[in-house]
Amino acid sequence: MITILEDTINGILMGSIYGLMALGLTVIFGVLKVINFAHGSLLMVGMYVAYWAVQLTGLHPYLALILVVPVMYLFGYYLQDIVIKPIYKAEKQVREPITVIIVTTGVWYILDNLSLLVFTPQYRSLPDNPLRGKMIEIGSMLISVPKLWGAVTAVLTAAAIYWFLQKTRMGRAIRATSLDREAASLMGIRQYSIYNITFGIGTAAAGVAGVTIVPFFNVFPTVGVLFDIKCFIIVVLGGLGSIGGAILGGIIIGIIESVGPQFMAATWTEAIVYGLFLIFLFVRPSGLFGVKYDW
Amino acid sequence: MKLLEVKSLTKQFGGLRAVSAFDLSIEEGEIFGLIGPNGAGKSTLFNCVAGVYPPSGGDVLFSGKSISGQKPWNLCKRGLARTFQIVKPFASRSVLYNVMVGSFATTGKSAAAERKAREVLAFLHLDKKTEILAGNLTIADRKRLEIARALATEPRLLLLDEVMAGLRPTEVDEMVAIIRTIRKNGITVFVIEHIMRAIMALSDRIAVIHFGQKIAEGTPAEVASDKNVIKAYLGEEYAVS
Amino acid sequence: MTRERIQIFFLIAAAGGALGLPLVITSPTYLHILILLFFYAYLTTSWNLVGGFAGVLPLGHSTFVGIGAYTSTILSLQYGISPWIGMIIGGVLAAIAGVVIGMPTFKMRGAYFALATIAFAEGFRVMVENIDYLGPFFLNGPRGLQIPPLNVGLANFMFTGKSPYYYIILVMLAAVLILTYAISRSKLGYQLVAGGEEPEAAAALGINVARAKLIAMAMSSFLTALAGTFYARFTLFIHPKSAMSLDLSFEIAFIALIGGRGSIAGPVLGALLLRPVGDFSRIYFGDKLPGLHLIIFGVVLILVMIYQPRGLQEPLTRAYHRLLDRLSGKIEK
Repeated sequence: MITILEDTINGILMGSIYGLMALGLTVIFGVLKVINFAHGSLLMVGMYVAYWAVQLTGLHPYLALILVVPVMYLFGYYLQDIVIKPIYKAEKQVREPITVIIVTTGVWYILDNLSLLVFTPQYRSLPDNPLRGKMIEIGSMLISVPKLWGAVTAVLTAAAIYWFLQKTRMGRAIRATSLDREAASLMGIRQYSIYNITFGIGTAAAGVAGVTIVPFFNVFPTVGVLFDIKCFIIVVLGGLGSIGGAILGGIIIGIIESVGPQFMAATWTEAIVYGLFLIFLFVRPSGLFGVKYDW
Repeated sequence: MKLLEVKSLTKQFGGLRAVSAFDLSIEEGEIFGLIGPNGAGKSTLFNCVAGVYPPSGGDVLFSGKSISGQKPWNLCKRGLARTFQIVKPFASRSVLYNVMVGSFATTGKSAAAERKAREVLAFLHLDKKTEILAGNLTIADRKRLEIARALATEPRLLLLDEVMAGLRPTEVDEMVAIIRTIRKNGITVFVIEHIMRAIMALSDRIAVIHFGQKIAEGTPAEVASDKNVIKAYLGEEYAVS
Repeated sequence: MTRERIQIFFLIAAAGGALGLPLVITSPTYLHILILLFFYAYLTTSWNLVGGFAGVLPLGHSTFVGIGAYTSTILSLQYGISPWIGMIIGGVLAAIAGVVIGMPTFKMRGAYFALATIAFAEGFRVMVENIDYLGPFFLNGPRGLQIPPLNVGLANFMFTGKSPYYYIILVMLAAVLILTYAISRSKLGYQLVAGGEEPEAAAALGINVARAKLIAMAMSSFLTALAGTFYARFTLFIHPKSAMSLDLSFEIAFIALIGGRGSIAGPVLGALLLRPVGDFSRIYFGDKLPGLHLIIFGVVLILVMIYQPRGLQEPLTRAYHRLLDRLSGKIEK
């Protein structure tokens, strides 16, 4: 019983981090109405930035946030501005820009393989960081400290983005664009600069996620692939575009992955996650908190 | 015979009642007009009839049978065709291709579909433009293409959603002539229109919708002199002239 | 000479060239590359039925390759059923899988379909990797299945040299191209294009868009699975990471998109242009610059999407027509 409780708690912690990874994806979808297939690669870039920042300075991993957040924001901002914006401009009439999905897939291939060229396939980790391997004992349960930090960061980041979208002027402009881009641009909101900013925020969120996992996870060029399909599943579970849904979807996956191995071979939990995803698509395609779409 | 009957139709979006208890009946062979100020519920009513939205209450009968809640593609097969206010051409394909999509609704054979499409295109004076990409047409030709596609499905009732918006006066006159010929060929026409001159000249009868409710119905002359209509929509100037 | 005659002449020349190639290219390595090139052209053309004409973005087509490969291999290894029959059975199973994925997702935004195809494909791969025995069927989990090179002959879909495989995939490619051509001119083809471009207008013109897409999906997955059997018989070894990988799914989609989705020539052109880039950069730069060909793919994909969103076939078709004009003009004079 205690083991199940322990696994559940660690599952919730890891799941919150998954939710944090998916956060940028759901924010970008909410506004641009497009699945960013390069999201896993952005996460990978964020991890490398965090890794090198910590490796070269020897500071506490979370101090890397000071560098990672602005760097990733600018990276996302200009990625959208230079690579993705031309497509939107060319396809103004298009209801749902599939071409944008394709372009982000191209970005994924380029980023992953560039980092393979630059950083080689070597697995890198931060063995001496103050969080690595730390555990808290509660009774007979062991709770992972870096995951606890990550989970707290996840909730804080989600809350901050939520607050930003609800309470600030810029946030309201972003939400207006997400509801109706034409109406918003008639109101004097510049659609493309909103897209740039949203992409920047989504990418910065991926960077934050990168910082939270670097203390306990290896960094390598294809690490994004490990997580991005998980992120896709999470955002569909939670509801595409929903911030709370992303965290909750992440927690569901985290619990399945962590408690599942008590009952079956660990590799089967992955199959269960995919099964759950397909069931959701049939039964409740809009996810837990999503908006219902028909075409 | 009544071809289309709308019985106390209501459509609610959340808290907003866009159309409330609307009654309407269109005789076979008629040109029937629906007018109303912006946001009065014209398009909502239209979309309920065309199967885009399921109505929240009431019923829609097409030649005596309920079609309420039916999908657009089934309505088309029953003989109800429509155009879109914001035209939706298959932009990357030729004019002929666009119209053939329509004529495939009644045949499975490519040769027959092409024959039918060419016939319709000739009727709409688009026969010199069959190979042009639909995306490259002028707005007037796009509006005609919308009608051509709809006619190719061989409808009994044609729903026209503001097909004259954005046209020049001469083009409006041409369109009026086209719609009259369509009716002469035995197709009943239901028009939503903003251009008063056109709809007054065209319609046998007109209904006026305001805040989701019908405030008047009758011949163009009756509607034009109706006090409520003048107040709600036409303005004093029109009443004087 | 008229344009039509010149075109027929080109067609005969191309067919003759394709048939004669194995006589000229005797190096097994190059013949191997050529066979895989046609194999990819076949896959992208099959993908195009749904990814091109229906205007959606399937990103899990390797699943159908896997279903086809495993079905015919298991049936032949365990029950001695001819791979030709297994090929058809695998196709039917793949078509069913395709319909199952399409049913809930074709009614929704395109992103859902793209995600569902990926999730289905990855879920399927994970399951096969975890299963040694599925009921009476021996899958052998992540280790995959080896096909012993016995009983060489046409009935057993097994040959000693490479050229028989070359001719089989050539015939398959020609057949799927003819089928695509026929569909593009049929009612279904018109319905798919209309539903892909303007679903509301298509519905108003009597088209049940989701149903048309499902039919396309069933055909596409059926045809893709046939190539799975070919792959199994050609390589004599299948395992989940090769026959069902996400990389394969994405490569199929990429090649078709760069070549030009929704056209008949596009996917084949894509394969003709991109496969050699991949093969040769792997051969020459594979050690020093791993993943270089994937960077090239990515860059080309982005540039094509921005500047030639309808694929490389568009400028090439235009050039081809200009050539035809010039030839027919000159010869008439």
